[in-house]
Amino acid sequence: MQEEELQKTEKKSAYELFFDIPVGPQHPALKEPAFFKFRVEGERVVGVDVDVSYNHRGIERALEDRNYIQNIYLIERICGICNVAHTLCYAQAVEQLHGKEIPSRANYIRLMVEELARIHSHTLWLGVAAHEIGFDTLFMYVWRDREVVMDLIEMLTGNRVTTAINTIGGVRRDVSDEAKDKVKKGMNILEERLKYYRKVALNDPTVNARCSGVGILKPKDAIRLCAVGPTLRASGVKNDVRRDDPYTLHDEVPFNVITFDTMDVFARVLVRIDETLESVNMVRYCLDHMPNGDVRIKLPLSPPVGEAISRVEAPRGELIHYARSNGTKNPERYKVRTPTFENLPSVSEMLTSKSDYEVNIADIPITLASIDPCFSCTARMEFRDVSKGKTWIWSLKELKAHCSKSRR
Amino acid sequence: MEENEVSEALKNKFGKKILEIKVSKKGEKVAEDMLIPEIMEIKVSKRRVFVTVPIEIYKEVIRYLVEELGFNHVQAMTGLDTGKFIEVMPHLGRGITITVRTRIEKDRPVLSTITDLVPGASFHEREIHDLLGVVFEGHPNLTRVIVPEGWPENVYPLRKEYHPEQPKPIREVF
Repeated sequence: MQEEELQKTEKKSAYELFFDIPVGPQHPALKEPAFFKFRVEGERVVGVDVDVSYNHRGIERALEDRNYIQNIYLIERICGICNVAHTLCYAQAVEQLHGKEIPSRANYIRLMVEELARIHSHTLWLGVAAHEIGFDTLFMYVWRDREVVMDLIEMLTGNRVTTAINTIGGVRRDVSDEAKDKVKKGMNILEERLKYYRKVALNDPTVNARCSGVGILKPKDAIRLCAVGPTLRASGVKNDVRRDDPYTLHDEVPFNVITFDTMDVFARVLVRIDETLESVNMVRYCLDHMPNGDVRIKLPLSPPVGEAISRVEAPRGELIHYARSNGTKNPERYKVRTPTFENLPSVSEMLTSKSDYEVNIADIPITLASIDPCFSCTARMEFRDVSKGKTWIWSLKELKAHCSKSRR
Repeated sequence: MEENEVSEALKNKFGKKILEIKVSKKGEKVAEDMLIPEIMEIKVSKRRVFVTVPIEIYKEVIRYLVEELGFNHVQAMTGLDTGKFIEVMPHLGRGITITVRTRIEKDRPVLSTITDLVPGASFHEREIHDLLGVVFEGHPNLTRVIVPEGWPENVYPLRKEYHPEQPKPIREVF
């Protein structure tokens, strides 16, 4: 007892007892490079510093050098998992610049593919989260069932992951009646399996032990630090771009905004499972109410001078694109703000011990994974010569030359 | 709050100090000298408000929007190089989006921070600092966040004068 008290006083006076642990860029929890410096006091984490500069690809600058059609394909490659959300957001921004509405059937197809992509993203995340808490059986089962939705996306769009379905003025492919039946069957399978996973998450002691009371983010802090998406809704704040700023057909298609008030990782798991079930219902609604008609209108290459802000509820949260056109075929400026970037202050808050709860080192992986981070979302591939202070970008030919050299 | 209510509230509070307000469908000229006349003509979509303010009342407008009208969420902050000036545009709000546009001189790119009003704006300001070289006065931790370690000083990739050099391959292989 005496020793403990002595330690306490020492901790307060001796700064040396704090210890910095570097985590990353090769990461235990994430498959993408990010660097975190944790300041620990024994097992308690008392501070965190984030560095996300390892993946800067310069996409925003590259968009200014390409025309609006070429940019669809570049935008799509910002993020593999959220590619539908990114192309949808981009197409909406350019349509706003043109000041044109797209056909109703195209809107239904956009919404349907967007919700299918949300199912795919959330089930993927559920698998990753199960892996982080050491529940690999659940990980295997969830990813097996995720194949159902991947096959449906491939059938509808032609590609499993990089769908290339949204384009300026509508969508690129129509949906046949045969495909509709297959989607309906797939939705029945998914609904049954997701309800089972909900039961597992609620009843399994492993999930409960590793997720309950971990990574607390209070509603007041979530609002103060501008959290978005499932991270915010798991803190009990009812906010969803689909409801607050409806795009495509979200003001017509009924859905519930899911919130939970336990504010921890467990709430984030349940919010995502329940949102997936909502998405299943939205896809069914789209299939039943889809009107006949065109799926695309033709728009000129160069939009008039102007600016537009486009918002989409991506699986990870609110995604915002800002576009400024100068009347030519290239945009003047294109800004992309991804949900992970907005959630970085919140995850720093979750990983810092407070007076009423503690964060342990062992909780770091699942807490980081709980915001569904994606660090490849912000920008440039380039090479630096530090001694001269110059930077440059390789052309495709030069890159090929370099690659084939290294292959030999 | 609706778009029109916001623009009325801003006009009542700041009057002629605000240079321009645009809400859906048509823009409205408040003061004589507008910053970006060519943008004026285009129409704005639903639930979007664009406010252009001079640098002196930038922070006051943000404070009014955040503390009194309750737009306490920073969706994003866009920085933009127009050649002679740099535009900084915080996009505020969760339902409707209010864009507060201000323009600063490129030779002396200094602007007061809004991190004390909305802590979530911290990363956005650091990003603009990295990519355009705007210094946010009073920011608690204005260090690099986007550009990689070892990036040269005073090189800002989103400025118009930045042209990356094409490198030569180490050896021709074909």
